[in-house]
Order: sequence, then structure tokens, then C-alpha cells
Amino acid sequence: MATRIPLLICLIFGVIMFLQYFSVHPLAKAAYSNILDWWQIIFAFTLLVGAAGFMKNSLKSISFRKETPYKTIALLGLVMMPILALAGGTRIGSPFLWVFENIQAPMQATVFSLLAFFVASASFRGFRARTVPAAILLVAAVIVLIGRVPITELLSSTFPKVTFWIQNYPSMAARRAILIGIGLGSMTTALRVILGIERTYLRGE
Amino acid sequence: MDRLRVRWIIFSSLFIVVVLSYLITLRIETTPSPEVRRAFDYLENLPDSSVVMISFDHEASSLPEIQPITLALLRHAFRRNLRVVGLSLFAEGTAIGYRMLNKTAQEFGRVYGQDYLFLGFKPQHISAILGMGESIRRVFPEDYSGNKLDNLALMKNISNYGDITVVISIADGDRTVQWIEYAGARYKQKIIAGITAAMITTYDPYLGSGQLYSAVGGLKGAAEYENLDGHLGGGNRGMISQTAAHLFIISLIAIGNILYFRNRKGRG
Amino acid sequence: MDWGVMIAGLLTLAIYSFLYKDNPVYKAAESLLIGLSIGYALVIYWQTTLMDILFYPLIRDTKLILIIPLVLGLMMFSRFTRKFSWLSRIPIALMIGAGAGVAIPAMLYARTLKQVSASVQPMIENGNFNISALVVVIGMISTLAYFYFSREHDGVMGKVARLGTYFLMIFFGATFGYTVMSRLSTLIGRVDFLLIDFLHVIQ
Repeated sequence: MATRIPLLICLIFGVIMFLQYFSVHPLAKAAYSNILDWWQIIFAFTLLVGAAGFMKNSLKSISFRKETPYKTIALLGLVMMPILALAGGTRIGSPFLWVFENIQAPMQATVFSLLAFFVASASFRGFRARTVPAAILLVAAVIVLIGRVPITELLSSTFPKVTFWIQNYPSMAARRAILIGIGLGSMTTALRVILGIERTYLRGE
Repeated sequence: MDRLRVRWIIFSSLFIVVVLSYLITLRIETTPSPEVRRAFDYLENLPDSSVVMISFDHEASSLPEIQPITLALLRHAFRRNLRVVGLSLFAEGTAIGYRMLNKTAQEFGRVYGQDYLFLGFKPQHISAILGMGESIRRVFPEDYSGNKLDNLALMKNISNYGDITVVISIADGDRTVQWIEYAGARYKQKIIAGITAAMITTYDPYLGSGQLYSAVGGLKGAAEYENLDGHLGGGNRGMISQTAAHLFIISLIAIGNILYFRNRKGRG
Repeated sequence: MDWGVMIAGLLTLAIYSFLYKDNPVYKAAESLLIGLSIGYALVIYWQTTLMDILFYPLIRDTKLILIIPLVLGLMMFSRFTRKFSWLSRIPIALMIGAGAGVAIPAMLYARTLKQVSASVQPMIENGNFNISALVVVIGMISTLAYFYFSREHDGVMGKVARLGTYFLMIFFGATFGYTVMSRLSTLIGRVDFLLIDFLHVIQ
């Protein structure tokens, strides 16, 4: 029962959502719209579950005196946002948005910008033309880096033209092949999931 | 020289290069790429009061690169008297999009509910994209501020994608792919992308096949768009630093390879 | 004094302290970021989804059919119990099934058929040989050959697959170049904030 019911539900909803694509019957449209709504609502609950899980693990760590200050700060942050939203709303000028704009967003952007330094370090230490394929990769990267800055356009219009040609033809051809492969693979996986052959989503409770 | 010391030299050199080059206030004219020109010309030639849907499908982490693109597109849309329906399919994009949309609209004296509005956020993006093809009101019964859509003048004659001229998805990941594969494929909705440079090669096949009408990519794309619109901003400000940083990276690659081949020759 | 900018600037420097080495200031900032991100998402999800399309229609408009997704959503919490954790598979199965069902036509049309048809371009246009179209076809076929693992990559197949490797390297190289560009742009954006808004070095 623990496996059969979910597999049956997956089959039913998968078949409905696949078949509705080919039908304009009002019943099919109604089923489609309702399932889209249910999907949206259930998905929202997954965040609540995730947040509850995070709180549970953080409190457990605090009780075991493991990384207590950091877990406490994280929990305070988690609790602070809903309190601010309840107290002051979420519109422009609210404390909720103020915290997002002046604390969360700048930190998020800065964490991501750290990658620039590591990319520079990797460019020096790891980017070697050891083999022919590696040399091709390196040359393509350098052409893009040179061709996409304004100063090289001033020196010669050839640089951006070569960059665009590489981007729009050989690079695009490889990406297209990857996309086709992914498309075919996704379709077969979707069919396997609907038919109950692929059951990995049933694990991990 | 030990690895940590080399790392330190590289980190500090990069920071110094970017900071010093940022202090140079020289402006380099940049030729618009065909894709950016295509996006610009499309919006420029739209009839007055056409409805444009802008989806803020990105996180705060890519804000420094995405914001100039977003502002350039928003300014152009408002300058052209286009009506803008904003939404987000990423939680963080909600607050960012809401703020940028309101701020830019105020610059042009636009009225909320009449000239622009912000629908809000829905977490399951595929469900939202497909749902809006049938009924926008069903997916968003109210806007982000809690106003019923039926009470907003802008939404009077808008029910689904059939009433939206173009969707502009501003993304730092593959959210735009879902717009193309669901809204574009099933409902034949025209899509334009505003994307980070890292995603450019991901979207090239869709540009080549015509599934994506056009794309404004990276800080350079923002600079090109700003030049076309005649309103310079963050894109142009960053171009000297971008140039200097690129040349720095290229020199690192060159030095790294020279040292590698020299050592290999020595060992051989 | 703009306190928001001051706090943003100090937190930016706290995060950058990681470049020196992992330290308590960075760890504290990172923990705060994690907590705020989850709290922010909770508010947004609750306000824009659960209230908007579940509780208001259910309570205000008595749309009783919404009891079904409400019950299914609550079933997700059964994951925290050992005895009833299998119940959480049901809403997951619904989401997975629905996603798989809509994905099949989308993948077939948008990722496969449209991409293949776009690759078939005329080689001769207005009497001129279009080498770019030939490059696209060769690139696509050779890359697909590389990913075809049901056959040994030897002989002609091996040579074609090897050519596919070179096209892949061009793609990876271009992607790397653009990724470097993107990361540097993010750094430039933060420097913009530090120099203009935080330190007022540039007006």
C-alpha cells in the first residue's frame, strides 16, 4: 500500500496531464486547471516542511552544543522575517523589505562575487593546454574573453565577429546536441516515472 | 612560491585592478550586438499601450549583473508608454522586481494599476507558466499588494497570454527555458530574455531556432542596450573594469601556461 | 547617515573576510544569511501562494475542492513521523506525475523536434555556399555521436566522436569565457556599491 498508492496516483495524474495536451474538451481543461492549482499549493507546503526540518536540526545542534552561536543566529534570522512581515507588512518602506534590501540581498550578492576571485585563481593554476582538446577549450575561452570587451571593438571589428561566429555556430551546435540528448532522456524518464518503472522519488523519507 | 601566497597575490591583484579601473570615468562606446539591437527594435516599434509581461526570475546573488539589464529594459518600456505586468517565479526576485518596477515607474510618473502592476510570486514555475496560458487571474487572483485583479484598470482586457504582446524573462538560470518550452511551445508566446553572461551559451540554440526572439546578455548587453536607449547606467559604468579584469584573467592564463610549459621542458 | 548602506557595507566586508581565511565573522554573517533567506521565503510563499490560492478561496469563497490539496500538503509533514512517513509519498507522487505528464510534449516539441528542424538549414543560399550551416550540422551530429554509448567508439564512429569532443571543447571554452565574464561583473557590481554608496569615493 505504501508503494502502490503513490505509484497509482503518479500514473493517474501523469496520464491526465499528458492527454489534456491533445484535448480542448471543457472537462479536460477543468481537470488541467485544477491539477495545476493543486500542484502549486502542494509545492508551497514543501518549503514549510523544509523550514521545519531546518529548525528541528538547528535546535538539535544547539541542544548538543554544536556550533551553538551560528545555529542561534540562523534561527533568529529565520524567525525575524515572519515577525517583521506580520508587524509591518511587505510593501515598499516596510521593515521586512528593508532587511531584505540592506542585509540579505547585499550578502547574497557578495557571496556570489567571491567566485570571481576563485575563477581568477583557477585560471592561473588549472587552465593548462595539456592536450589538444584542452588547448581548443583554452583558445575558445580566450577568444570570448577578448571579443566581449569594448576596447577590442575599437582595435578591430574582427574580434567581436569571430566571437559571435564561435558562439552562434560551433559552440551552439554542441549545445544543441546536448539539448536534444537531454530532451530525449527527459521524455523517456518522464514515461518511466508515469509507468512506475522509475521509483527513485519514493525513497528518502 | 607557496600556493597560499600565490593565491593571495592573485586575489589582491584582481581587487586592485577592478577598483583602480573603476575610478577611471572614461566611457568607451560599445557597438550593439545583433541580439540586443533586435530586442531594442522590437520594444521600440511596439504600438503604444502594448502590454509587456516582465518576469523577475532571478536571485539576489546575480543582482549586480542583472540589475543594469532590468533597469535598461524597464526604462525603455516606460519611455515607450508600454504597460508593464510584473511577476516573479523566484522568491528573491519578488522583492527585487517589486522594488525596481515601482522605482522605475515613479521616475516616469506612471500610475500603479493603470500603467503597471506587480502580480507577485508563485513557487511552482511550470504550473504558473502553464496556468497563465489559460487564465492569469486563476494563477494570481490578487496582486502582490492584495488588490483583486478585477479591480485594476490594466487587467480589464487581459485574461491570458493572448493579451500579452511579449514576455521578458530576466533570469540568472534556466527559468527562461521553461518560459520557452511551456509558454512559447504551447501558447506561442513571444519571449525575450535578459540573462547573465554565464547563461548566454545555454540559450544560443533557442535563439538559433527562433524559439527565443532575442536576448540581452550580461553587463555588456546592458551597456549596449543603455547606449541604444540613450540612458547610461550601471552597464556602461562597469565597462572599463570589465575590460581590465578580462585582460587580467587572460594574462593569468598566459603566465600559467608559460610556466607550465617551461617546467615541463625543464623536467623533460 | 544611511544605516541600511552602512550595515550592507559592513556585512559585505564581513563576507569578503573569507578571502583571507574562514573566520567567525564570516561564519556569523553566513548563518544570518541562511536564516534570513529561509524566513524571507516563508513569508513570500505564505502570502503569495497559501493565502492567495488556498485559504482565501477556501474560506472566503468556500471553494471546497481545495480541501484536497490542503490535506495533501499537510500529508507532507508526515515525513517527521516514522510510522506514517509513507503518506508523504502521495503528494510527491502527484507533483512528479503532473510534472512528467506536461514534460513529455514540451520536451518532444521544444527540445527535440524544434532543435533538429532548426539544424537543417540550406547549404547553398543565393548561389553562395553557407559553411556555417555545414558546421552546425557536422557539430551536432558528431557531438550526438560522442554521447552515443550503445556502440564502441572505434573506426569511423570513433573518429566522428572525436570530432564531437572538439566541438564540445569549443562549447565548454565559450561557456567558461562567458562564466568568467559573469563572475567578474558580479564583483564589479559590489565594487560599485562599495565605492559609490558605502565609501562615497565616487559621486
